[in-house]
Amino acid sequence: MAILEEPIKGVPVIKNYIGGEWVESKGELVDVVNPAKCETIAKVPISTREEIDAAVEAAQQAFPDWRRTTPLARVRCLFRLKELLEEQFEECSRIQTQEHGKTIDESRGESRRGIENVEVATGIPSLMMGYNLEDIASGIDEYLIRQPLGVFGIIGPFNFPFMIPLWSAPYAVATGNTVVVKPSSEVPLSQRKIAELVDEAGFPPGVYNLVNGGRAVVNGMLEHPDIKGITFVGSTPTGRDVIYKKCGETGKRVIAQCGAKNYMVIMPDCNVQRTIPSLMTSFFGNTGQRCLSGAVLCIVGDDAFYNRFLDDVADTTSKIKVGYGLDESTQMGPVRDVEKKESILRYIEDGIKAGAKLRLDGRKPTNLASGYPDTCFLNPTIFENVRPDMRIAQEEIFGPVMSVIRAKNLDEAIDMANSTSFGNGHAIFTSNGKAARQFQYNIISGNVGINVGIVAPMAFFPFSGMKDSFYGVLHTQGSEAVRFFTESKVVIQRWL
Amino acid sequence: MELNTASEAISFSRELEGESAKFYENLAQRYVEGKEIFLSFAKENNKNIVQTERAYFGVISDALEGCFSFKGIDTDNYSIETTLSEGRSYVDALNVAVAVEEKIVKFYMDAAEVSKSLMADVPQAFERITKKRNERILKLRSLL
Repeated sequence: MAILEEPIKGVPVIKNYIGGEWVESKGELVDVVNPAKCETIAKVPISTREEIDAAVEAAQQAFPDWRRTTPLARVRCLFRLKELLEEQFEECSRIQTQEHGKTIDESRGESRRGIENVEVATGIPSLMMGYNLEDIASGIDEYLIRQPLGVFGIIGPFNFPFMIPLWSAPYAVATGNTVVVKPSSEVPLSQRKIAELVDEAGFPPGVYNLVNGGRAVVNGMLEHPDIKGITFVGSTPTGRDVIYKKCGETGKRVIAQCGAKNYMVIMPDCNVQRTIPSLMTSFFGNTGQRCLSGAVLCIVGDDAFYNRFLDDVADTTSKIKVGYGLDESTQMGPVRDVEKKESILRYIEDGIKAGAKLRLDGRKPTNLASGYPDTCFLNPTIFENVRPDMRIAQEEIFGPVMSVIRAKNLDEAIDMANSTSFGNGHAIFTSNGKAARQFQYNIISGNVGINVGIVAPMAFFPFSGMKDSFYGVLHTQGSEAVRFFTESKVVIQRWL
Repeated sequence: MELNTASEAISFSRELEGESAKFYENLAQRYVEGKEIFLSFAKENNKNIVQTERAYFGVISDALEGCFSFKGIDTDNYSIETTLSEGRSYVDALNVAVAVEEKIVKFYMDAAEVSKSLMADVPQAFERITKKRNERILKLRSLL
């Protein structure tokens, strides 16, 4: 099969998009590297404090007019954006693969998920409606209206460069707010593409702004008095100790979606043939770099079932084709960069030292197509004999590593899963409805899978999370995002 | 070659549809008695491509098993022979067409079966094409 054509040619210097103009940054330029080929594909600025301030000012200036624009007129811009995103679906997907490394199927999946949020946000004229009640007392009526707040900051992570800012931005602008988006400086090209399409879709200047950079931009957002709220997706230490804390101090609304350590609980009555592909996607999809990835495979059952099941898992895993994501036959791409690879390798070393048994050693990539450096590549790794107290069973590795644990029964499996500090996307595989209900009822997890390995809520449901996986109250996506981006104003009226 | 990913499966179905469409266009030029039916098949092939791609691009998601849904499907088992030497009769052409259709039906059936419950609407799209192509086989046989 073919290697698909790369959409990014040359080494473009990325600009910021502020007030409807593409503006060159004064910040230092850093390389954006395609991790599969170790080639520089763009230069991205680490924007300055003045530049984030300018973007917030542009957004603040645009807010009064945009707020007064009718919801129907606002969503017409989104309809046009949706149309443009569909027209350029494949280019958007290939950009993700080129800058991030994920496979083309995964990138197309990410594009689809992102666009679905634009689609849901086009329902704002209905979604944003308030409610009312006549005669709460004789001759007195009460009603609730939802109003936008102003400027919101949207901070994206490296693992889903296209989709994650779209969990927030469409709802924010559809409800009449304005936004400043800061993508990860490792993967800025997808958001640049979206900003180009935003521009083409006809959003008024200042409604949607893009500022590239790092800590200075994030701090600028957190400290800016005109930013009313922040949505963030990233690690738990940053989400909890920086974003959530600072938003609390400055009185901003916040959604901080953080790390995870997801248990995939296997019951002996599961449909093995259908479960294994789900596990492959869950543990090794996106090269394990996502907060919904399976991390611990917890097998319930006797020795015979355990051995048979794990043999099947190990056999399928050992055949995963690792390579460049634009090669259609690739099932797992590289990790995003060499530092992340080194971090994963340290966890593997730690697991070995702690006494876990390497069933499949993925430290040295094999069968990589010629011409690709192995700098950022790993093969999948499977650990057996993992104990729940080991670091590899407790901490987020964010890579293609499966830690296998055994449990005597479902209760013990649930207890072990609940013993981690995270609660993001645990799942059970079973054909027993009672076991599934018991799991759903008792597991502490914002998103729960039943025979589903990646519990990614659709755009019309909130992306939930519990414990150290989420800080905030309302979530991104759907009606919760509408509530997050609006203030409820209650009016009680009496005409004398 | 064994298929690893959904992207490959969709590309392969596109190849099969394209190749068989060219085959029918060629038959339409060579055999006037079957021109109408052959051209209708070629046209339908293009619709099949559109419908399959619509299903795939419409449902593909980071949550689906896109890279692991077509295990065991080897394209070598579904290669089609579309060359028809000069001077072959209309009946020969119909027999070759039946053989082509049977191979393609087998691909869609097998691909739908292995990806069932994993790839959302894609296996259903494959099944719909299987049904249409089985009807073609009946039609082609009725002309023999």
